Amino acid sequence: MSDWVVIMMLGASILLGVFSLIAFLWGLKHNQFDDHERNMNSVLFDSTEDLNDAVKREAKRKSYETKSKG
Amino acid sequence: MRREKIACSHCHLEFSPDVMIEQKAGDERLYFCCKGCQGVYNLIHDQGLERFYERSATVPLTPQSRHLEESSRFDAPAFMAQFAKSKGELLEIALVVEGIHCAACVWLNEKVLHETDGVVEATINFSTNKAKILWDPTQIKLSKIIDTIRAIGYDAYAYDPKVSENKNSTVRKEYFARLIVAVFASMNIMWIALAHYAGYFTGMDASIKTILNVAEWILATPVLFYSGWVFYRGAYYGARNGFVNMDTLVATGATLTYAYSIYATLTQHGEAYFDSVSMIITFVLFGKFLEVLSKKAASDTLDKMNRHIPMEVNKVASDGTITAIPLHSVEVDDVLEVRAGERFALDGVVIEGETYVDESSLTGESVPVWKQKGDSVISGTNALNGSVRMAVRSTFENSTFAKLVRMLEESLDKKPAIERLANRLSGRFSSTILFLAIMTFIVWIAPWGVDATFERTLMVAISVIVIACPCALALATPVATLVGVSLGAKKGVLFKEAAHIETLAKATTLFVDKTGTLTYGKPMVVEQIDFAPIEESIVASMTAQSIHPISKAVNSYCESPTRGHERFVSHAGRGIEMIVAEHTYWGGSATFLREQGVAIPDEVYEGLHFWVARDKELCRLYRLEDTLREGAGEFVDAMKRAHIEVIMLTGDTLHNAQAVANAVGITTLHAHLSPDEKAALVKARRAISEGVVMVGDGVNDTIALASADIAISMGHGADVAVDTSDVVLLHDDLYALQEAFVVARRTYRLIKQNLLLSLLYNATTIPLAVSGYIIPLIAALSMSASSLLVVGNSLRIKWKG
Repeated sequence: MSDWVVIMMLGASILLGVFSLIAFLWGLKHNQFDDHERNMNSVLFDSTEDLNDAVKREAKRKSYETKSKG
Repeated sequence: MRREKIACSHCHLEFSPDVMIEQKAGDERLYFCCKGCQGVYNLIHDQGLERFYERSATVPLTPQSRHLEESSRFDAPAFMAQFAKSKGELLEIALVVEGIHCAACVWLNEKVLHETDGVVEATINFSTNKAKILWDPTQIKLSKIIDTIRAIGYDAYAYDPKVSENKNSTVRKEYFARLIVAVFASMNIMWIALAHYAGYFTGMDASIKTILNVAEWILATPVLFYSGWVFYRGAYYGARNGFVNMDTLVATGATLTYAYSIYATLTQHGEAYFDSVSMIITFVLFGKFLEVLSKKAASDTLDKMNRHIPMEVNKVASDGTITAIPLHSVEVDDVLEVRAGERFALDGVVIEGETYVDESSLTGESVPVWKQKGDSVISGTNALNGSVRMAVRSTFENSTFAKLVRMLEESLDKKPAIERLANRLSGRFSSTILFLAIMTFIVWIAPWGVDATFERTLMVAISVIVIACPCALALATPVATLVGVSLGAKKGVLFKEAAHIETLAKATTLFVDKTGTLTYGKPMVVEQIDFAPIEESIVASMTAQSIHPISKAVNSYCESPTRGHERFVSHAGRGIEMIVAEHTYWGGSATFLREQGVAIPDEVYEGLHFWVARDKELCRLYRLEDTLREGAGEFVDAMKRAHIEVIMLTGDTLHNAQAVANAVGITTLHAHLSPDEKAALVKARRAISEGVVMVGDGVNDTIALASADIAISMGHGADVAVDTSDVVLLHDDLYALQEAFVVARRTYRLIKQNLLLSLLYNATTIPLAVSGYIIPLIAALSMSASSLLVVGNSLRIKWKG
């Protein structure tokens, strides 16, 4: 087995791990793990109506953001 | 005859239909328990949010018949400045939403808020019921937002996230992120190290070894410099204050090992120990993380204490008008109105009205005291069932309650840092090792000594530090306490900080509160004496009418169901009158019954009494006592066997206290104590002996709890007491309390064993290292072996239990 293969295997597997680590740390920084129950309950609120609400919410937020910038 | 009960269409609480409000909606008939619920139901209905009821199913909600304070105060500039945070042109506020029972409540609140113009974002935390609301002040006022939340049947109040949990949770998060990085890197290093060691025994190319070393190097770097940053910081602060601590040891050990490993990697001489670097940082950081998790925030406790006091009081002007004024502007001799359910914010004298007052925050006794004109009332106590007017006798700064809070603040500040055995040891240990390493270096390089080459000398000196790398020493305490804490948790004992185990194990004196700790804290019927026959259902329905604890206790003692609607007259504070058919029944205190012309025997009965009479004829006496908790006697015995002195403290009378003390076998007791006298006794004892433990449950024990080395509280005790404590008994169980001592002592014994083991290990390996006999294999093996030994030894706590 050549050295190059070992380097590739080590590098690739560690890199994959690092990606998920970064994703986790990003989530942690953005308060995704503050509410333990929300995600468990969110399964109850996934009807079409809820999804439409979420879109409306997003649009509302965007409009305020552009307004405060402009 | 009992009628079928119907659930209110909004709050799902059940009532009989004749007292409910009926409303027709199409073909359906709706029933409401009150106007409030009806209003909320219709509002939710009109907004097309009926799905709320589908989602909340039959979870009972809070009925809407509450009196709420004016929302306009939320718009006051002072309020805004304190709580609202500006974000560009928008404002953000943190609110606690009250009345949330289930996921559907959160859904409803968020939905309604999002449909309100001007609210940009509203998120409610499911677990804490805290909401973050971002709104546009040009479009909507905060009071309007609060009104919206109230309109759908909830209430909200602002809190300052800066003060309480925010700081704590950022620290927690920071440690968590550091720990995750360390764990991630260590796990990856572990499998690389496995290849490494396998190669060491079966042989591998130098090039492969270098590749593995470099991979470990890359992974160990963030562990040392990101995760391990806390140790550098700790070592730096230690150095600045002129002492060597565990952090110094971990930091120097890890850094030198890291530097040596880089050297070994680059020169391809010797072995690299990146796995040891990341292992030690991860393990010790995990111990630190657990400590941070359980660190108490003093500010939280004080916040909770202050919530016991209303910030505004109702002042009655001389012309009879009532205005709400801030607490701090009240002056002596002002007249205040305190309504049923409210707390007295200031000390004073009742001048009008009468009520029961719950004084448990001061005396610990749960039986309310009857107050009428001329009686003095104390701040922090609670008016239970009547409104009174009081004349203020002191300003808020001088009130009893403010004094209590100040004392609690002081006690929490002065709480001694616990000196741990490992800390004391590690300070000396690391200075010794550093000294030894330098001496080794001098002896090896000196022409009068070994006179070795510089490279060889450096290798030997570093090997001394590397081999002494305090893995085992650093792990000795955290691992043992961790096992101890988890064992405690299984038995219903919650240690808030692992360090408390050690202190508890060294306990010499135990102060124990009587009411609520040794006893159940509420009266229970212990005897029923019959004078004439009477139906129990009469007593049951009579006692169901009163909120007085004696009444409640008699009611829960009665097995018969209550009867239907009867005519009651409640003589608040003294007794109850009930008319059934042509008979009048009386129930209450002896004095009350005598006033009604009932002859009461002169015989003296112990404890509290509830007398029942029909017309003028005495029927029955219920005798009540605050009974001892199960296992109280055994607990005191066990403490005595463990050579711990048990002292009882109580706000109750000497007579009652003596009875309890005799029953459980306590010889030293102090009765009739105020909260600060309790604390003074604890402090006095702490001045002369170490290991002072206080067990309590009430607001009145809080200062004493904060003054003790270790504070233990009953899990169902007052919030503030639980917050102030270091150890919480989850099941209010004295067996668990006994268990806490057993676990602590066993853990402490193991900590000592662990420390001994790690010192023994160092005593054998360091001489070898100093004399230059350490070959890489031995270094690697012994380092892991010593850690494994300590971890393995710690696990014995569980096996024994």
